[in-house]
Amino acid sequence: MTPILRRLLTVWQGSSPAGAAGRMPWWILCATLALSSGRSLAADIRYDRDVRPILAEHCLGCHGPDAPARQADLRLDTEDGAKPRVIVPHRPDESEFIRRLLASDPAERMPPPDTGRELTATEIDTLRRWVEAGAPYEKHWAFSPIKRPVVPSPVGPASTDIDRFLVAAREARGVGTVATISRRELIRRATYDLTGLPPNWEEVAAFEADSSPQAFATVVDRLLASPRYGERWGRHWLDIARYADTHGGSAIGFTKFPFSYTYRDYVVQSFNGDVPWNRFVAEQVAADQMGLAETDPALAALGFLTIGMQFRNRNDLVDDQIDVVSRGLMGLTIACARCHDHKYDPISTADYYSLHATLAASRPPETLPVIGTPAETPALAEYRHELQRRRTVRDDMATDQVAVMQGRLRMQVGLYLRELAKGTPEQDLSSAFLSFRTDEVRPHILNRWRDYLAAITDNDPVFGPWIRLRQLPADQFATRSSEIVAVLLADNGDPAAASAKNGLAEETPKWNPLVLAALADRKPESLADVADAYGFLFAEVHRQWLKGLAEASEEAVGDGIITDEDPRHATINSPIHRQLRHHLFADGTPTMIGGQAAQSLLNRTVQDTLAGKGGAIHDLHLGSPGSPPRSMVLTEQDDAGPFHILRRGNAINRGEVVEARFPTILAAAADNKPFPAGRRRLGLAAALVSPDNPLLRRVIVNWAWQRHFGAGLVRTPDDFGTRGQPPTHPELLDHLASGFLDDGWSLKSLHRRIMLSDAYRLGATEVAASRQVDPDDELLWRMPRRRLDVESMRDAMLAVSGELDTTMGGAPVDLAAAPIIPRRSIYGFVNRDIVSSLSGTFDGANPTACTVRRPETTIPQQALFALNSDFIQDRAVALSKLAMQAADTDEARVAWLFGRLFSRQPSAEETASALVYTRQQAATPDAGDGPLPPELPWQRLAHVLLAANEFLFPD
Amino acid sequence: MHIPRRELLRRSGMGFGTLALASLLSRDADAVATPSHFPARAKRVIHVMLNGGMSQVDTFDPKPELQARGGQMLPFENLQTERKTGVALPSPFRFARHGDSGIPVSEIFPNLARCVDDMAVIRSMHVELPNHEMSLMLLNTGDMRQVRPSFGSWLTWGMGQENDNLPGFISLVPGGMPVGGAGNWRSAFLPGAFQGTHVDTSKADPSALIDHIRNSRLTPQRQREQFDLLQHLNARHLADRPGEAAIEARIRSFELAYRMQLEATDAFDIRQEPEHIIRMYGEGPQNRQLLMARRLVERGVRFVQTWHGNMQPWDSHSNIKDEHRRVAGECDQGLAALLSDLKSRGMLDSTLVLCSGEFGRTPSVEMGQNGAGASQGRDHSHWGFSLWLAGGGVKGGTIHGATDDFGFKVAENPVSVHDLHATMLHLLGFDHTRLTYRYAGRDYRLTDVEGEVVRPILA
Repeated sequence: MTPILRRLLTVWQGSSPAGAAGRMPWWILCATLALSSGRSLAADIRYDRDVRPILAEHCLGCHGPDAPARQADLRLDTEDGAKPRVIVPHRPDESEFIRRLLASDPAERMPPPDTGRELTATEIDTLRRWVEAGAPYEKHWAFSPIKRPVVPSPVGPASTDIDRFLVAAREARGVGTVATISRRELIRRATYDLTGLPPNWEEVAAFEADSSPQAFATVVDRLLASPRYGERWGRHWLDIARYADTHGGSAIGFTKFPFSYTYRDYVVQSFNGDVPWNRFVAEQVAADQMGLAETDPALAALGFLTIGMQFRNRNDLVDDQIDVVSRGLMGLTIACARCHDHKYDPISTADYYSLHATLAASRPPETLPVIGTPAETPALAEYRHELQRRRTVRDDMATDQVAVMQGRLRMQVGLYLRELAKGTPEQDLSSAFLSFRTDEVRPHILNRWRDYLAAITDNDPVFGPWIRLRQLPADQFATRSSEIVAVLLADNGDPAAASAKNGLAEETPKWNPLVLAALADRKPESLADVADAYGFLFAEVHRQWLKGLAEASEEAVGDGIITDEDPRHATINSPIHRQLRHHLFADGTPTMIGGQAAQSLLNRTVQDTLAGKGGAIHDLHLGSPGSPPRSMVLTEQDDAGPFHILRRGNAINRGEVVEARFPTILAAAADNKPFPAGRRRLGLAAALVSPDNPLLRRVIVNWAWQRHFGAGLVRTPDDFGTRGQPPTHPELLDHLASGFLDDGWSLKSLHRRIMLSDAYRLGATEVAASRQVDPDDELLWRMPRRRLDVESMRDAMLAVSGELDTTMGGAPVDLAAAPIIPRRSIYGFVNRDIVSSLSGTFDGANPTACTVRRPETTIPQQALFALNSDFIQDRAVALSKLAMQAADTDEARVAWLFGRLFSRQPSAEETASALVYTRQQAATPDAGDGPLPPELPWQRLAHVLLAANEFLFPD
Repeated sequence: MHIPRRELLRRSGMGFGTLALASLLSRDADAVATPSHFPARAKRVIHVMLNGGMSQVDTFDPKPELQARGGQMLPFENLQTERKTGVALPSPFRFARHGDSGIPVSEIFPNLARCVDDMAVIRSMHVELPNHEMSLMLLNTGDMRQVRPSFGSWLTWGMGQENDNLPGFISLVPGGMPVGGAGNWRSAFLPGAFQGTHVDTSKADPSALIDHIRNSRLTPQRQREQFDLLQHLNARHLADRPGEAAIEARIRSFELAYRMQLEATDAFDIRQEPEHIIRMYGEGPQNRQLLMARRLVERGVRFVQTWHGNMQPWDSHSNIKDEHRRVAGECDQGLAALLSDLKSRGMLDSTLVLCSGEFGRTPSVEMGQNGAGASQGRDHSHWGFSLWLAGGGVKGGTIHGATDDFGFKVAENPVSVHDLHATMLHLLGFDHTRLTYRYAGRDYRLTDVEGEVVRPILA
């Protein structure tokens, strides 16, 4: 067994289909674990570090926090649950917990053999020794308060506190580090790291010549002050924010956001301005509730919530917001608790729906606020005029068509009552996508009738009889219904008196006489018959109203005056008719539906046409030269809620009502009052950035660490829960998190702390002996080797070819356009529906969900791009022009190219190879052509250097 | 089971995983987990997508009762579909029994009908909504709302590559995009290398089909010279950085790419086929891309999906008789040729062929706009529909499940998309409950928490 295998297996845990452990020969596993468990072999077994990961991986799915899934009513994640029932402290042999792990009878054995899970001997030994030690439990590290650990005093040299933690850990394991890198390599590393671009030759030379002890600090400060910094780190943040410029999930083609770029620009500006992280987070969650002016650019921060995938289902949309807030800001996989309590972490569905209640209470307003005050230009005037025109066209049509539909719905009361009589259940509107015709039941309207009638009391003069009749059992319906109608008729007294009540001043009897008459006439044998009776009656009342209204309107242009008391107004004036009409016209009645909800119920052709007119407005925002930037904000709705737990995530299976609030496990330290209505997201923001929140600061310092060192101190950056990996250096993580607070939440200060460490200067060099002890480089004995990400690769090529356009901000540009638009990649159009070939090929961020770590693949398509793309060859053309201008001799040109691309001089051998190549190219014509133009050999050489590994893998 | 080192490379990201490679540079990395859960019957998949929705009662699910009651309302409440439908519309096509199995097929598939003894027809498929986009997402990714990896992505990730010089998952679409676009073949949270490569098969020049497959500025000789210098410099660079896996991975990747320039264009170039093969598959983009699919799987492409065309060609709302006859006619010869061609090459046993729409169609007639005047077409129906599989361990000559007397709703042995996926994965050597990927704290499966293998169709 070799360390190689051991390393492989580690890799596999993340990338194998079935989890390698289940299918691995036993001897590999044993050997593997013997190697990896160096820590566990130490005398002290720690619950948090050693035990919980085993329980989480193998046991808690059935014996953990998820109550409905819990087997044998046993939970092992809490002390109360496990002791003394299955764990007898200090007595492993008396503990059922240990006995079951070792049982040979498959019926007894845990985990059950059919799950395919099996603990290794080492893992069982760890658990056994934990029980021997009394089975002490600890609160999960990530939910414990951030501490201020004592900085260790290692034997070896360590320049900074960060190094003192790292060196002490290495010394404990007897691992040394690799050599540090040269100044030339250091400035390349730092410049790519902070700006995503290579340093130029002068910058390298200046740094190499600067003998001051502050030389590197000066470089770091210069880079942090560069606007290019915000473009680089802003792009990192956009991965978290699942930034894209299209809605995603369109059936046909795609829909662009007109203003997603304002969020992107806000992010870049915030990084450049070193906006304190607590403010940055708060603005992204609640900028609209922080008292900012409506024109404040910081309102664009809310794009964090609004530029996600535009799911048709509202609950999915909110789920995506919960995911980005929890995974992106807190390293918690709360979205797991949408359908059931979290299997591994103490996150309940109530916690999930409390966040749902926080976020679902808000929606984007009809009109997004303009950022700043745009200059009064002819283009702006034209835009405003056109916007007004298009809105009028759309709104007028919507008003008319909704009115038409409402009129029809008022004639269709019977249709809906019959559905209810049939017992049709509540309709799940979250997935409904149907095209309607006039005669079809609208599920939304059906739900409204259901809710409306559920809230009506049985003494309502119109629907009281319905309420009473609907309670009758089917087999007694005919007889009992006529009895009830008879009783109600008797309540009313003389029907003749009621029918005469047509005057303005009349009062109505107890029960609506028309309803009773219809029922008496119908002699209903079922609730469906009752529905019919009501249906005919409402249709007739509505018909008479429309007729009366038309006639009464005509009076205004007719001959002579007809008074309002005239008998011709009998229907209009009748209090009995008015009683019925109340249920068709009063606010809150089922057919009084307006706005977006009503428009989604229009007949298919009308709806499609209306959508086209809405699209014209969208297109204007998107394409008009005068269209000013707007913030993609949210507004909390006045009438939001109540919100329920949705059992199994099912929108019509409502559980208890939940309040907007912070997850219980995190709120223990904070004050967990419900977030106030109207400012729920501000409540969330305050809880997030509270110094008592143990997660936010750990997550951000880990995020920065990951970006500087390739891997985080917590290597599962979006899962700080029990199934994530515990930190490699827990004390260092807390040290950085505390320091971050001391530095006033300044990310730039954090960069300085990290980059001025000795560790940052470690070479990317392989050492077999160190690899053997620490195969995953958890002790950071070397810097990992990293390829430039897709944005840096493209930007660096444009930078060295002299073409990079450093214009900042604004609407996204097409990176695939010809001729090229040489802007930085962060300003490229991100299509969520059709991921660009460049991004797909080079492991770009997945724009459909919060990405904490991009995959790293090496595939031939990447090499094809380097060999054949017009992009790289066009850069080579521009680059070779610069080389030919910069130097006269062939040797000097080669040297210039190496300096430009690699910040170094070529070796004699490299110069010779390059010159052999260019001269051979120049000497031999291409097939069928004459002699080569003199620039061609240099273009081809420049192409080689751009494609070379040295360009893509800075040391 | 021992997996060769190359297989390891492939499995870590369709080429080299940067992380894995560190380990691979040394000697004895041969032993590792088997890639599948049990022996695979099928090694590759061709999914012929009849996008728009094939009508079951006009193809593989004849209903005498429907024929008898033409023009009458069906004797049960109309099930909710996209639009209102009216009276029973008998199939305008004649059915006949074929092969030893006697499976009935309608006249619009005269060639394919000869292959029924190799096919298993499932007549009891059902999906959740009569909506193209959502049903396509469900069929392709197992989830109709959330963004999830597609079947082809799961498969290429799970099984790895057979051929490094070609993408492992290819979607062939003649002239455009289906509804839902690239969402039908995305890799979602799996690495981008596993997303489907979209190829527009209406383009005739094979070198136009894959990005950057040719250098338009250099002759082959000149490219060779340039390539040699590049690899020379790369080798020097590596020599100063011994043991650096990522760097060596890219060097090798260049070698692969260099070879791929030739092989990839060959794979798509059906002009290289003998004349009788080209004739056997027939004319037109749908038939021709089935031949292309065979060339691709023959070269080790893991999952090929062929789409009938742009948008939703099988969506015969207004005239089932002419439209279904036309679209079936566009692929019938190719489908029959594909099955017999695979068979004669000994590849049918290891190639799983699935032919399906995203849902079926109503046995009742679709009503015209606003209910006026019935058309002679059928609306979408998710309540019950047919599809067929062949090869790759499927029991030929099988009919599984049934719809009601009119072909509207599943009546026996319902099969969900999760069941279909579970069955296909089973044939490909995977227990669908154990093919999992940990993302955002959860172990995701193609089949979510559902799926039963449909055992009666297994050989």
